[in-house]
Amino acid sequence: MQPTAQETIATLKARLLANDPQFWTLLKSATRAAKDFEELFLLSSLRKKAHARNLAAPAPAGKKLRLAIVGGYSLYPLHELIGHLCEVENLPLELWQGDYDNYISEIMEDDSGLYAFAPQVVFMLPAERRCVYTGKLTDPRAQPQAEAKNVVDSILELARKVNEKTGAEIITTNFMLPARHDLGAFRARTLGSDWSFRKWTNLELGLNAPAYLHICDWEFLANRIGGLAARDERAWFESKQPCSSALLVELAREAAHLILSLKRAPKKVLVLDLDNTLWGGVVADDGLEGIELGDTSPRGEAFKAFQKYIASLKQRGVLLAVCSKNDLAKAVEPFEKHPDMVLKMEDIVSFKANWEPKSENIRAMAPELNLGLDSFVFVDDNPAEIEIVRQFVPEVTTILLGPDPSDYVAQLADARLFEPRNITTEDAERTQQYRSDSQRKALEASVTDMGAYLTSLEMEGIINEFVAVDVPRLSQLINKSNQFNLTTHRRSEAEVIAVMNDPQFVTFSVRLRDKFGDHGLISIVIGEKAGDAMKIDTWLMSCRVLKRGVEEEVLNELVRLAKAKNCSRLEGVYLPTPKNEMVRDFYGRMGFTLLSESETKREFELRLDGFQPLPTQIKITRRAYDPT
Amino acid sequence: MTQPEVIARLQTIFDTVFLEPVVLTPAISARDVPEWDSLTHISLMVAVEKAFNVRFRVGEVENTKNVGEFADLILKRQQEP
Repeated sequence: MQPTAQETIATLKARLLANDPQFWTLLKSATRAAKDFEELFLLSSLRKKAHARNLAAPAPAGKKLRLAIVGGYSLYPLHELIGHLCEVENLPLELWQGDYDNYISEIMEDDSGLYAFAPQVVFMLPAERRCVYTGKLTDPRAQPQAEAKNVVDSILELARKVNEKTGAEIITTNFMLPARHDLGAFRARTLGSDWSFRKWTNLELGLNAPAYLHICDWEFLANRIGGLAARDERAWFESKQPCSSALLVELAREAAHLILSLKRAPKKVLVLDLDNTLWGGVVADDGLEGIELGDTSPRGEAFKAFQKYIASLKQRGVLLAVCSKNDLAKAVEPFEKHPDMVLKMEDIVSFKANWEPKSENIRAMAPELNLGLDSFVFVDDNPAEIEIVRQFVPEVTTILLGPDPSDYVAQLADARLFEPRNITTEDAERTQQYRSDSQRKALEASVTDMGAYLTSLEMEGIINEFVAVDVPRLSQLINKSNQFNLTTHRRSEAEVIAVMNDPQFVTFSVRLRDKFGDHGLISIVIGEKAGDAMKIDTWLMSCRVLKRGVEEEVLNELVRLAKAKNCSRLEGVYLPTPKNEMVRDFYGRMGFTLLSESETKREFELRLDGFQPLPTQIKITRRAYDPT
Repeated sequence: MTQPEVIARLQTIFDTVFLEPVVLTPAISARDVPEWDSLTHISLMVAVEKAFNVRFRVGEVENTKNVGEFADLILKRQQEP
């Protein structure tokens, strides 16, 4: 039996009084599980009491993020909930709240408190009462459309202004739909009704938002909990609350989720159990014909629907792997022979069916796929398997499925682990890339001379300065690349655009293609001119293309660009993280001289006079800032 | 329920919402409690409505002058069909 909310609160209080640091772990899990407003608010109060008692947190808190909340509503206690939700996930906030319905002047006036605060993220809640059609219900469609566009344009203009002045990422809510009958069925036959007008406005807003503007989809959230439960007119009249306390919780959770996902890398791999996860029954016992899968039974349909959902994740770029306690031959059989299997062998990048502990199998996948364990998600219907993975590979996120297979899709979707940020076309091609990687490795094994192997790959490199169309992919890579990353400087899309347009910086990315396929954009460099030196702010690369000569070509290009900027040396720094040990000596290997060394950084220099371009087997077909 | 019983139950709610302990009496009001501002008030009311299973009408909580009157209002709304 899970403890009730009241029991959890009682335990938390006892730990608080005993100054037990376990308080924080329990606070985190209780916060994740909290369903209603009172519970969440209480947990937030307990957190503040713990701070007042100086109860030391087990993990050092991350750096504070400066979040401003502005809008056409009272922003308390919304800001309190957001602050709590982010802090328990180890992203403490420094909060600034705008005044009630003062957001337009706070944004438009250059000397406002908002700008004095210098926010890194701004959460904006435009007033619903500014999203109404003022004409008649029978007006021709073009008129409400034009008015909706005005509403959207004014929100986009506010966002643009904030972004331009502060470089902040902006999150805006859209608009809740009404839940009262009012116009009856006629509401759907005109764009002038609140119902249709707000839906139209929400679509316009979402489809026209620039990359730095993120939508907190209030329409969706209200719809999810129910239109009647979403509103509380009394709370509006009494204290200008934006919605019911139930929806306020959902709104705060969504805002916190968006804020956290600006700073955290998404998951990349979904590891699947087989028996009673992808099909009903045990294939080794029940046989290929005995397993429940497909449209002949309701349970079979449920498992097939789960597979279809997983296939749609693959379509979005999630890598699929299998980890099953099974005989390999038996485990593979449904993938090859069962007519209702949606997932096929070619969808799976790593297939482990054996009798080793699942924790060990998953641990072994990480180096195979060149991905950190923290980008793995494991699903299984067996609590014991989930537990062993939780204990022995705690970096992996686990989801215990069940007991009803018709809930599997909801359980995976509502875990919110594979949400696209800005979808790039390269996501969709990634499985193809990983598959041709294994073909390449087969070739590698057959060719003994590395130089001959590299030549046989017929590699072609394209070096490009940062351009607007690449910004989503550039930011994505900057924010998730961990291993081959010298400085791990993270940058939002807005920040990438800022360095792209700053003449003090040279920026470029490398795309690599070979005879097996296109690797896409795989390396990123940002250099900053400082006197006679070019400081390497960022140098990162996808580990998939390690030791192919890309490192050398990047250095050649860096030297070329540094000389063009009249620099006489390159300055490189290595900033250690738990994940980038592999590049600790990288600059040394590339011929740089070590200047200084400490726990937190290693500084290197390369003098440019006498530098000879390093030979590689990559044909460079374009260079950065190339006038042709 | 009587007024003292309501106040005793309110005490447990106040203890969870406020960081500093407050001893409730019929005469005490928001003015006497530094933490009891318009902001904590919202959370307090959500908790009270749930605990007593009542729904106040718009504006009426604002018109109560102290905890005693507030307790009476809770009793009145509880007695509604």
